[in-house]
Amino acid sequence: MAEIVLKNIKKIYPNEKTKKHRFGKKAKEPEKKSNLQVTDEGVVAVQDFNLTVHDREFVVLVGPSGCGKSTTLRMIAGLEDISSGDLLIDGKRVNDVAPKDRDIAMVFQSYALYPNMTVYENMAFTLKLKKVDPKVIDEKVRAAAETLGITQYLDRKPKALSGGQRQRVAIGRAIVRDPKVFLMDEPLSNLDAKLRNQMRAELIKLRHKVNGTFIYVTHDQTEAMTLGDRIVVMRDGFVQQIGTPQEVFNHPANLFVAGFIGMPQMNFFPATLVRDGASYQLKTPKFTVDIAPDTCKKLAASGVDAAKTDVTAGARPEQIELVAPGEKGAICGKIVVSELMGATVHVHADVNGSEFVLVINTVDFDKSKGSSFGIGDDIWFKFEPDAVHLFDKETEKNLIQA
Amino acid sequence: MVKSLRKWWPLFLLPTALSFAFGFVIPFAEGLYLSFCRFISISNPKFVGVSNYVAALSDPQFSHAFWLTALFTVVITVLINVIALAIALCFTRKGLRGSNSFRTVFFMPNLIGGIVLGYIWQILINGVLTNVGQQLLALNTAAGFWGLVILMLWQQIGYMMIIYIAGLQSIPSDYLEAAKVDGATAWQTLWKVKIPNLMPTITICLFLTITNGFKLFDQNLALTGGAPDHSTELLALNIYNTFYARAGAKWMGIGQAKAVIFCILVICISMIQLKATQSKEVQQ
Repeated sequence: MAEIVLKNIKKIYPNEKTKKHRFGKKAKEPEKKSNLQVTDEGVVAVQDFNLTVHDREFVVLVGPSGCGKSTTLRMIAGLEDISSGDLLIDGKRVNDVAPKDRDIAMVFQSYALYPNMTVYENMAFTLKLKKVDPKVIDEKVRAAAETLGITQYLDRKPKALSGGQRQRVAIGRAIVRDPKVFLMDEPLSNLDAKLRNQMRAELIKLRHKVNGTFIYVTHDQTEAMTLGDRIVVMRDGFVQQIGTPQEVFNHPANLFVAGFIGMPQMNFFPATLVRDGASYQLKTPKFTVDIAPDTCKKLAASGVDAAKTDVTAGARPEQIELVAPGEKGAICGKIVVSELMGATVHVHADVNGSEFVLVINTVDFDKSKGSSFGIGDDIWFKFEPDAVHLFDKETEKNLIQA
Repeated sequence: MVKSLRKWWPLFLLPTALSFAFGFVIPFAEGLYLSFCRFISISNPKFVGVSNYVAALSDPQFSHAFWLTALFTVVITVLINVIALAIALCFTRKGLRGSNSFRTVFFMPNLIGGIVLGYIWQILINGVLTNVGQQLLALNTAAGFWGLVILMLWQQIGYMMIIYIAGLQSIPSDYLEAAKVDGATAWQTLWKVKIPNLMPTITICLFLTITNGFKLFDQNLALTGGAPDHSTELLALNIYNTFYARAGAKWMGIGQAKAVIFCILVICISMIQLKATQSKEVQQ
């Protein structure tokens, strides 16, 4: 049983300015590296973070670099002070509890294996410090090594291991503790692409074997989608959306989430949403799209009832289909780039200044809709009925409230 | 570029090769030869075999200087390294105000030459000794020895501290954070994580302090000059005094023999120390 509650967690890094003033130097405006909010108290790295992680849940914090995801994880670990708010593990407030007493284990991006110890010693270190019986330590270390397939490396130093093996040792070091919570800070990002995919699959398997509560930080949306029971998308210190991978993918809360989750990225284009009684239409200078009846109902329910609304519309590349030239309601674009990925072709088409990416299956491709994607050719396509996402032009929020 | 280097390399090598030859190799070889000779000026040495070495090794002052130097080196090596590491640990702590100014202050004694430091501390220590009613340095063997120790600590701790700080800062903070999460106390982190990862730095610092201890000369000359009665005379000063301060032709050769013994000694000790600590170094 391990439930973690984050209540209005906030992290502020104090300004260095006041220090400089003492020596009479003029304080220089710090170089603006990100869009983090700067208040009188300092730079706000994490803003009002609220989340309840349930027992045995796998929660992924995802966002671009500098969004505060690692800071949040480090606050849970106790490596970073919490500026305000409450952190509860199993109902106990642990803001001021030392990392070692929080019953957590952490896997670092760099693995952070002690180079002076063998694999065995690395894994046994934490139990040794707790003065656990050497027999028990030996049992646990060997069991964890067995699970991870690193038994034959137990006597080696980390130096003599490959990246993937080190990664396993780092995870093994966490497993032997049998902690309430596993914290993982970008554990796969130092591996090459092939190994990363392999380890990702192994993490999913492992997660069911270990049965712990996981909080996992990554900037990779694929990892977030595949690993997480729930995803927390962050940007500039603010939580953008919390939801299951499906929710986040199918109903992004705002333009940022829509663009961040999904590969290739969602296509965006400016348009006007026109209401006519109970039905809605999306109008651009070049084409008009009827909004599916289901979506219309939701729009009405969300209170979008102005006759005309300027919006940013979005459609996922996977939800665009090729149609025969000149079909009713079809959109015509000019091909600017065509990338053959193997099973699919990513075709970039220009429509009135907006670029659309289409993912076209090459395996069971219907030749009647054109077969070559030469640059400069015309391409005809259509959005699937529920493919269209609508975002407010100003606030960038999804017009359909969940 | 590479081609022309291949052609002209002797030209680039020449300045250093010449200065190394004239400044080190030739005098060293000549010195080695002279240690087997009896001479007053080096233009007409007379070969006498190993008698200089026999005389040097049977000189009670020389063996006294050797044991004193050994003791002195052990004492300062331990004290300098322990204290310098402790201070470095303090100054690498996060959020310590003014640690840069402290580092500068601790480092500054190292910028003053040994002779000057020796005279300054002579005045200081004699002042203290007068006030506590003890004999002055010139008559006080124990005060002379510990005075030298204090002087060396004063001069060397700041220097070693800087090296230790650099070493500590090169330990990835991930290791320390991992240790924190693993539940290590500050003391356990020091012994299990910091010191093992600091071994390359410790090797360097031990090497420097041991050789500095053995080769100590200026400070010894300025602070006590070996007084009273050669009892605070370290090896280097003993050699110097043998060579220059004694009357009689034979002493030149004996001094030379002592210098050769001294040289071999320093090389051996440094090699043993390097071998011993390097085997403890870890690769990251």
